[in-house]
Amino acid sequence: MRLLKLFVPVFLSIILIVLDARFSYLDNFKRFTLTLLSPIYLVVDLPSQVIDWVNDKGSENELLVSQNDYLEGQLIELKAKLQTYNNLTLENQNLSNLLESSYLIPDHNVKLARIKSISQSRLSKKIIINKGLNDGVTLSDLIIGSDGVVGQVTEVTPMYSTVRLLSDPTQHMPVKNSRNGIRGITKGLASNDRGMILKYIPLESDIKLGDIFMTSGIGNSYPPGYSVGRVKSIDENLDPSFMTVYLEPTQNLNRLELVLVIEEKND
Amino acid sequence: MINQSQFILLLKITVLAFIVGAIALPSLIEMVSPFWLLLFFTYWLIYSDSNGIYRSAFVLGILLDVFQGGILGQNALALVISSAFILSVKKSFFVSNLTTQQVYIFIASLIYLIVFLITHISVQGLQIQWLVLFVPFTGAILWPVVRFLLAKLKQ
Repeated sequence: MRLLKLFVPVFLSIILIVLDARFSYLDNFKRFTLTLLSPIYLVVDLPSQVIDWVNDKGSENELLVSQNDYLEGQLIELKAKLQTYNNLTLENQNLSNLLESSYLIPDHNVKLARIKSISQSRLSKKIIINKGLNDGVTLSDLIIGSDGVVGQVTEVTPMYSTVRLLSDPTQHMPVKNSRNGIRGITKGLASNDRGMILKYIPLESDIKLGDIFMTSGIGNSYPPGYSVGRVKSIDENLDPSFMTVYLEPTQNLNRLELVLVIEEKND
Repeated sequence: MINQSQFILLLKITVLAFIVGAIALPSLIEMVSPFWLLLFFTYWLIYSDSNGIYRSAFVLGILLDVFQGGILGQNALALVISSAFILSVKKSFFVSNLTTQQVYIFIASLIYLIVFLITHISVQGLQIQWLVLFVPFTGAILWPVVRFLLAKLKQ
C-alpha cells in the first residue's frame, strides 16, 4: 500500500515531465498557477523596491539636476542621430520601391521594463521583469538592452513576465553575420556563464573574430536587425565538416537594470 | 489526511521556502544554495504525523516547478523520492543528534540532486554548471539553522 502511495505521484510526475518537455498542453495550467503565485514575487521584491525608494528620496537636488542636464544632452544627441537614420530609412524604402522589392523596414512598439531581483531555477537562465499582461506584454516578445538582445518572454502573468536569456540552453535564435549575411542558429551554453554556440557553419565560411551576429528574422519569431553576439572563438576541430563558433552576447547582463520589450506593430 | 494545524504549518513553511528560494543571490552562491523546499518540507515531515506526505510533496513540487519556470514535474519527482527516504528514516531522524540529522539531510539532498539532474539532462542535455554538485553539502551545513528557525515559526 505504501509503495502504491509512492508510485502514483512518481508516475504522475514522470507523465508531467514528458508532457511538458514534448508538448504545450500544460501551458495554460502553468500560466494560471504562476498568476496565483505571483504575489510571492511582490514580497521578494519588496526590499529592493524600498531601497530604490530610499535612494530616490535621499538623492541630492544638485545631483538630480546634473543628471537631468546630462540626460537632456544625450537625448539631443540621439535625436540628431535619429534624423540621419530616418533619412536612410526613407531612402532605403524608395530604393526598395524602385527595385520592386517586398522588403519593409520593420516597425516595432517598445515598452520600458525593469528587471526584478527574483531568482529562478538554478539550471536555467531566466529573469523576471515588472511588465506583464496588463502592460500588453505577450509570449515570445523579444527583450533587448541598449547594446543588444537579452532574451525572449516565455511566461506572462498580469504583473510580471519571465524572460529566458540568450545563454539558456533551451534558447535558440536565428541569426546572421552583420558583415556578410552568413546565417545560423545560436544555442545557449549553461556551462559557460554568458556564452552561446553557433553550430553547423560550413568550414570555408568567412567568419572572423569580433564579427557581430544579429537577429535574422527568419521564421518571424523575432524581429530582425538586433545585435545578438560577438564572435569570441572559432573551433574547426570539433566536426570535420563544420566549424563551431562561440559567441559572447553584445549586451552585458551584469549591470542591466532596464530593458525594452519589443513587439511588432499590428497596424 | 492532514489536520488543520499541520496544514497551516505546511502552508507557512511552503510560502517561506518559496520566498527564501526566490531571493536573488550572486550566481556562485545561488548555484550552491540548498534545495530550500526539501529542507523546509523535511522539517514538516519529521514533526507531523500526516498520511498525505507524498501527495503534499507532489503538489509542492509542482508549485515550485511553475514558480521557478523549470520543467513541470522535475521538483515534484525529486521531492517525492527524497521524502520517501526521509520517511524511511523518520523514527531514527526524530531521536538523532544534529550531526546524524545532517547526514540524513545530505543523503536526501543527494537523492534530490540526482533525480533533478537526471530529469534535466534527459530533457535538455548535459548542460550544467558543476558547482551544483555542492548543493547536498550546503543543505547539510544549513540544516541546524533551518531547524532552529522553523522551530520558532512552529511556536
